[in-house]
Amino acid sequence: MQCFILAGGFATRLWPLTERRAKPLLPIAGKPILTYAVDVVPSELQITVSTNAAFAEDFSAWKKTLKRNNITISIEDAGHEDQKLGALGAIARWIHEENINDDVLLLAGDNFAACDMTAFLKLFRGRPLVAGHDIGDTDAAKAFGTIITKEETGSVLRTVTSFEEKPSHPKSTVVSTGWWVLPRSSLSVLTEHAAKHPDNVGGVFEEFLRRNIPIDCFIFGELWKDIGSFEAYMSLHRDLVGEKTLADPSASYSPDSEMKGAVDLGPKTKIMKSVLTDCIVFGNTTIEDCVLTRCIIDEGCSLSGVDLTDKMLRTGTVLHLKP
Amino acid sequence: MRRTFLLLCWLATDIALFIAAYAIAYFVRVGFIVSTDFPLDKYLQTALIVAPFWIGTMLELGIFRLTRIQSSRKNLTHILFSCVLASALFTLTYYFLHNNFFSRLLLVYAGLLNLGLTLVWHIAFDSWQRKVLRKNPAAYPVLIVGLNREAESLIELLEEKQSPFKPVAILDGQGTSKTDIRGVPVLGKLNKLEEVIQKLKPSHLIQCSNLEHTINLMSVCRQHKMTYLLLPSVLGAVEGYGEQIEGKSFIKADHESW
Repeated sequence: MQCFILAGGFATRLWPLTERRAKPLLPIAGKPILTYAVDVVPSELQITVSTNAAFAEDFSAWKKTLKRNNITISIEDAGHEDQKLGALGAIARWIHEENINDDVLLLAGDNFAACDMTAFLKLFRGRPLVAGHDIGDTDAAKAFGTIITKEETGSVLRTVTSFEEKPSHPKSTVVSTGWWVLPRSSLSVLTEHAAKHPDNVGGVFEEFLRRNIPIDCFIFGELWKDIGSFEAYMSLHRDLVGEKTLADPSASYSPDSEMKGAVDLGPKTKIMKSVLTDCIVFGNTTIEDCVLTRCIIDEGCSLSGVDLTDKMLRTGTVLHLKP
Repeated sequence: MRRTFLLLCWLATDIALFIAAYAIAYFVRVGFIVSTDFPLDKYLQTALIVAPFWIGTMLELGIFRLTRIQSSRKNLTHILFSCVLASALFTLTYYFLHNNFFSRLLLVYAGLLNLGLTLVWHIAFDSWQRKVLRKNPAAYPVLIVGLNREAESLIELLEEKQSPFKPVAILDGQGTSKTDIRGVPVLGKLNKLEEVIQKLKPSHLIQCSNLEHTINLMSVCRQHKMTYLLLPSVLGAVEGYGEQIEGKSFIKADHESW
């Protein structure tokens, strides 16, 4: 089996954080989201991370920070969103160029799942396998692709009967999580489907059903997040950091500063006379006399005398409120 | 370069017009025979001394801003004020230099001619300079951020009025299926902001939607030395303008505009 991680998106909804950074490389509780995905992949599996030309250097730098060596960065020659091959197109290209004839573990690089990858892979029985998270809320399920299975409750392994993309009236609260296993026998269907629909990974599973190829679904209830929005990013940050301050050794905050909720301070961050509640500060930033609530501050910012709530600030933002 | 040339051209022609207005007033009042009791050279010397002060007053009032609408009521009032001030300054300067007063009617003629010629010339110059400023590459290229009906009507207005502010591109935070508005291309979402700025080098950025990105757009403008403008509709106001209370700046929206 080989592992292929999709990390080529441009993540426009997380602008300005993704202005110069790929979404899977956004830090969460001290390390990039993508590192969490790589960490759970069995060490013997060869990993290919697919990204685009715009972020190629960042991914190469990220790779050097990892302990495992069997990782390849595959560069899609797209400097912009409109030049992208599409997620499925990228997989098809990799299969073709690398002449892949193996089972493929496919992961979305911007998804976080706290479930056991080994348990997931153990359930693979030569049929396409998807991981589904029971979100337990019909309204919340409307925002995702849902999986409808035969068995109602009980077993963690069920047979998929259909998929629905962002349904207005969800028939199921099990949502697709960005973990898939494709048996080698299905790769030809994938490449064939990718030629017509290069952007839709979920679509290939619908194609499997159309061709009467049975699909298994592994259901898990552990923490799962799709980091597609500010709210999701913040929510995962709170889940992983908890009610504490996570500070890089080179970061500092003065005794007259107050850190509330989940606060993550990146390298060379300096906080003085400020109150931070549920904030992420990427690094190289100075914050003085500020009240920041649920804010994500990108690198190299300098803030003084400002109160901000629910804000994402781009790299190099300077905000000094003059007296 | 083009802006500097236009400004220098405008200042030079205004000084010439000022001298001409006062000279014409002299000939109309005194007659076309040069008087020995009221010498033309002393009269014109005084006009030459006063002209820079008149120009300075108009500069201070922002009359020479290339983007200003010359036919607006505010601008006409400013020109009127400058001309009246110049007349008063002319009288005082002449008295201080030559210890002498002269015909009051001459002063009225000079003031009225100065006002009339300046008004006509400024409106004509404005019309010409708009065409010059809009020629590619535009002197004031504008990047529109946010595509909604307000943005569309703004683009229409700028195009119809042949404004020196020429929209060159539109970015929309939400993404849109539209490819252009009145020939102004929609170039994508905000992730293309840096690329568009590098390529088109806009002098102004006008935010028409997405209030949540205000700080970041201002940060981009600061970084690229661009002027940031916010359409009042983003704040839910129809019209808004700057106001100061105790020296602190505010955006004001009159209750009539809500």
